[in-house]
Amino acid sequence: MHQRLSQRVPVLGDAEVSLEELAFLALALVAVATAAMALLVRELVHTILWVAIFFVDLSAIYFLLDAPFLGVLQLGVYAGAVTILLLFGIMTTRKRIFSREAVTGIGPIPVALSIVTFVFVVSALAELPQGETAIAQYPPQALSVNLFGPNGPWLLLLGLIMLAGVAGAIYLVREGRE
Amino acid sequence: MTTLGVTGFVALSAALFGIGLFGILTRRNFILLLISIEIAMNAVILNFVYFAAFATGTHGLDGQSVAVVLIGFAATEVAVGLAIVLALNRLKGTINVAEATDLKL
Repeated sequence: MHQRLSQRVPVLGDAEVSLEELAFLALALVAVATAAMALLVRELVHTILWVAIFFVDLSAIYFLLDAPFLGVLQLGVYAGAVTILLLFGIMTTRKRIFSREAVTGIGPIPVALSIVTFVFVVSALAELPQGETAIAQYPPQALSVNLFGPNGPWLLLLGLIMLAGVAGAIYLVREGRE
Repeated sequence: MTTLGVTGFVALSAALFGIGLFGILTRRNFILLLISIEIAMNAVILNFVYFAAFATGTHGLDGQSVAVVLIGFAATEVAVGLAIVLALNRLKGTINVAEATDLKL
């Protein structure tokens, strides 16, 4: 799929990296930066815009990982539907859409807990196989056969939970309830 | 043939989960809370997708299938969360979660 991405290009003298490593590095940096910006900016609408870029960036990572169906699903569900739902939520709960969020104190405990989580996961890296491996390629048809075959019960459960979610959401927002 | 190392992906999803956890712990606005949960959940879905890509045999397809189901779960969760936001806004006039204390003993 990514024939041209595999060629290696020289950087800084003798060192060489492949174009897909560069692509992954760029996408990962954008993902972390946009996720952080989404939680650091003060205006809620700007948060939504940053998080939309984050979702599109993750979809690009899925395409890089040879999972095109998931990439399209990520674009449609997250970058499309979830972003618009969140914007709708802001529009219905605020008088002026561009209003600033009150400053919340960033205590040491949340920061420490996040960093501890990160370090805990990264410290498990030594257990994983090192070095580069070829990424498995599956055609989308094989994914649908797997999804509706051995993983059919999960899909059924998803349908039931979505039904319950929609019914619960309608019950929560219906008029005239005290 | 695409070749990449698995370590970069683990570090990326750990960083994203840390950012999401930080948001969940610090934000008081319900919509920002939902966004933080979405960021953490996306880190988890990314986990399934890249371990699927590095698996051998048909296990990779299992990982992608679980990722599809998880994306559906996350979308449902946002829909229900938004319904709660609307109900909270109607009852309290604010979507600050610190003020939703009716169930407190």
